[in-house]
Amino acid sequence: MPSYELALMLRAMPKGELKKTLTRISHAIFNRGGIIRNIENLGFREMPYKTSSHGLVHREANYFVFKIDTATQAVADLKEENSRDVDIIRQRVFKVQEDKQHLSCTLPEELLPPAYRAEVQKMIEVGKTQVNRFTYKFKYNSGLDYYPFQK
Amino acid sequence: MALLKSLILRNAFLITHRALVSTIRPSSNASVVEDDDAPVEMENPFKKERVQCILCKLNITPDYKNYRLLSQFQSPYTGRIYGRHVTGLCKSKQALVEAEIRKAQNCGYMPYYYKDKTFLKDPKLFDPENPIRSHRF
Repeated sequence: MPSYELALMLRAMPKGELKKTLTRISHAIFNRGGIIRNIENLGFREMPYKTSSHGLVHREANYFVFKIDTATQAVADLKEENSRDVDIIRQRVFKVQEDKQHLSCTLPEELLPPAYRAEVQKMIEVGKTQVNRFTYKFKYNSGLDYYPFQK
Repeated sequence: MALLKSLILRNAFLITHRALVSTIRPSSNASVVEDDDAPVEMENPFKKERVQCILCKLNITPDYKNYRLLSQFQSPYTGRIYGRHVTGLCKSKQALVEAEIRKAQNCGYMPYYYKDKTFLKDPKLFDPENPIRSHRF
């Protein structure tokens, strides 16, 4: 099962209700055979922009991040169920990126003068294989009995 | 008569001089072998240290939940993400930062059109007035 991060914005509500909402969301995950690795509370704070959902305008929200492992097929189902939940202002699901092996910084190569950069050299090579539009002149003896361009 | 004599003498001196030079040369070559002042194989002492971008140097992977770090790559006036010529990041890290900022903005962690006022006094990672590569703006 791949790992996902479920970033949620929950509406402002008292602690008891919040607890109920969180259990409801968790049960929805468990019912689809998923597991919760971690629940992060990023706090209750003002939103950077107002958001309207379920007919209400919200200006502050409880931020939560669920780290879950669930089947890929269940994700769309979960999103659909959460979208019907009036306590959830906004939800986003991100796939957790696997730790890539740390590649060395390519900054020194990028700071070289253009002529020494590999990508520029490649571009020049490609350019050499193309017809130069500025110097190309149509040859009348090319087999066509008419001039193919506008005069 | 005296003039002729002097000419011959000079000629003779020239010839002997050439002979001298030809005899000296091989002996000078032999002396090079035991010279301890010869150049030594060594690494270039003037080689510059390999520069790294700040995220690679500190081994930081940008994350959308760490919006305080991401907001340092955002303009305080317009909320736009600074380009690579300003931030001085390598290509891969810049792409990652941009992607994570988009995510954070979409999740409602970060504003689109301004920078969070509580982060305005955060230390500057780079100077937008002096970009590492010049630009039109």
